[in-house]
Amino acid sequence: MGPLIQNNMAAFFKSRHRWKRTSCFTILTRNLTGKYDYDLVVIGGGSGGLACSKEAAQLGQKVAVLDYVEPSAKGTKWGLGGTCVNVGCIPKKLMHQAALLGTAVKDARKYGWKIKDPVSHDWETMAEAVQNHVRSLNWGHRVQLKDKKVKYLNLKGSLLDEHTVRGMTKSGKESFLTAKNIVIATGGRPKYPTDIPGAMEHGITSDDIFWLKEAPGKTLCAGFLTGIGQDTKVMVRSIALRGFDQQMAGLVTDHMQAYGTRFAWGCVPQRVDKLPSGALQVTWADTRTGKEETDSFDSVLWAVGRAPEAKALGLDKVGVEVNRETGKIVVGADESTSVSNIYAFGDIGEGRPELTPTAVKAGRLLARRLAGQSTQLMDYDNVATTVFTPLEYSCVGLSEEEAVGRHGQDAIEVYHAFYKPLEFTVAERDASQCYIKVVCERGGEQRILGLHYTGPNAGEVMQGFSLALRCGATLSHLKETVGIHPTCAEELTKVSITKRSGLDATVTGC
Amino acid sequence: MSLYEEVKVHGYAEFCKAVSDRKGKDIFAYFSGNVIKMTTSEPTVRGEISHLPEGSVFIYCQVGQRDYWKNPNNDFKKTLKLSGVPTLLRYGTPQKLVEEECFKANLVRMMFTED
Repeated sequence: MGPLIQNNMAAFFKSRHRWKRTSCFTILTRNLTGKYDYDLVVIGGGSGGLACSKEAAQLGQKVAVLDYVEPSAKGTKWGLGGTCVNVGCIPKKLMHQAALLGTAVKDARKYGWKIKDPVSHDWETMAEAVQNHVRSLNWGHRVQLKDKKVKYLNLKGSLLDEHTVRGMTKSGKESFLTAKNIVIATGGRPKYPTDIPGAMEHGITSDDIFWLKEAPGKTLCAGFLTGIGQDTKVMVRSIALRGFDQQMAGLVTDHMQAYGTRFAWGCVPQRVDKLPSGALQVTWADTRTGKEETDSFDSVLWAVGRAPEAKALGLDKVGVEVNRETGKIVVGADESTSVSNIYAFGDIGEGRPELTPTAVKAGRLLARRLAGQSTQLMDYDNVATTVFTPLEYSCVGLSEEEAVGRHGQDAIEVYHAFYKPLEFTVAERDASQCYIKVVCERGGEQRILGLHYTGPNAGEVMQGFSLALRCGATLSHLKETVGIHPTCAEELTKVSITKRSGLDATVTGC
Repeated sequence: MSLYEEVKVHGYAEFCKAVSDRKGKDIFAYFSGNVIKMTTSEPTVRGEISHLPEGSVFIYCQVGQRDYWKNPNNDFKKTLKLSGVPTLLRYGTPQKLVEEECFKANLVRMMFTED
């Protein structure tokens, strides 16, 4: 017996218990040295999965990534790149921009531009342009994976055991890959309400709205639609923007109402029926009046939360612990799961922000740790974010509620200001909801705990300030910073009125 | 008997005619300038040409002289949105390989063989 056969015997004895569970086909695909097919197999080709697999490949690992899109209830599907590229950040920001341009065109007249009435919007033109851009991103990802020698498989991945991933085609054909390490980055999908008859049959979600061939028309739910001329109503069961600073959330919704989006507060939908005309009739209970109301819409968009893509992964069979309430995978600070060589990160991780940049960074750091190149962990604190509502809201750090909860009302100081963007003056636009809030410690150096901003270009404004928070900025640092004039961002450096003083926080001219 | 049709054209007008004459077909277009360096990627593309799908069309297009190409308003840049040469693209799709990407056999093969 040569050494090669002796190695096989050793591998056989080591994996004997696995031999019983896996099929012969799996054993035959293992190469003669008994090693795995791949150093790393990533399930999920979204923001996190792609970043992780590309980084690992660059560090010399043999990597495969499986990406598969289960069509939405309406049948919508898309290419490589995950939620952000296809049904999230990218199309959202582009359509938000379409809406902002609509407002800008109206403002333009006040600035002297001769623009004929009526100014109208063509959904098809916008949708095609957005969809073409998304498709170019799908292709770009394919090129990158190929170029970096990452094996891409358009298969639905699941776990067979702690070192084996099953890949399935649409028609149900199976194949198997073995890996030293497995990473789960399957993200999430929008939820449909389960207790409302007609909800899934007649409603759509964010998975569908960006891929509609025709304008959604009179719609129940979704802000940017008002900006492009669609009649829109948002129905809210209790509060808007749960998890965010609620004062800021109120400013956002006040602005939307002032600009034409109708809100149905404290209303709970009960059923959705399709009328002979093709329109959708929605019946709801108004908890404030106790009455039942109905109205008809062309489209009903559900935005009632996202559910993790974890059910079909085979997690319980392999022993990967899942949070029973959220369904997300329980993860450690190093993205590890309850199974030693299986990791999970991105939207699928319990307690993680549902954001692309954190998934990307966490993915890259994980790849470096798995390749033995680093021990650095992902820092999830002080991650800035922006909600691209018609009045944009950006923040970094703690909300006022969180700061009070952690430190107590007496130990924090909140500086605030209502400001008016210069561009709004000539355009005669209402700026009542343009606002800034600096939440900081009351004592000592007055370290800044959180920054909040509503106004134009909120994301651009906040990015630089998130660096300041990372460096431990204090109120004095902020006040010593000279603003750039005239901008909206400079107002952050000029705050002086505290909430505690009760004084009027409206900024007067310079 | 070849699986694909190869067409050689010069300039934008000839390119457009070649495309409109072949409506409904899977068209791959390789745009080359009249500069010496362009020819180094040709062997890569030519090397993978046997992988073209059956019934497809391969248009080899010379974009024109250096001065014409340098003008940012030339038809290739304005209408076809070409950013550089050589460019290999699958007409009517976002699939495109630009400059150095055309030198990589695995990328060229991916465009010819995968959806």
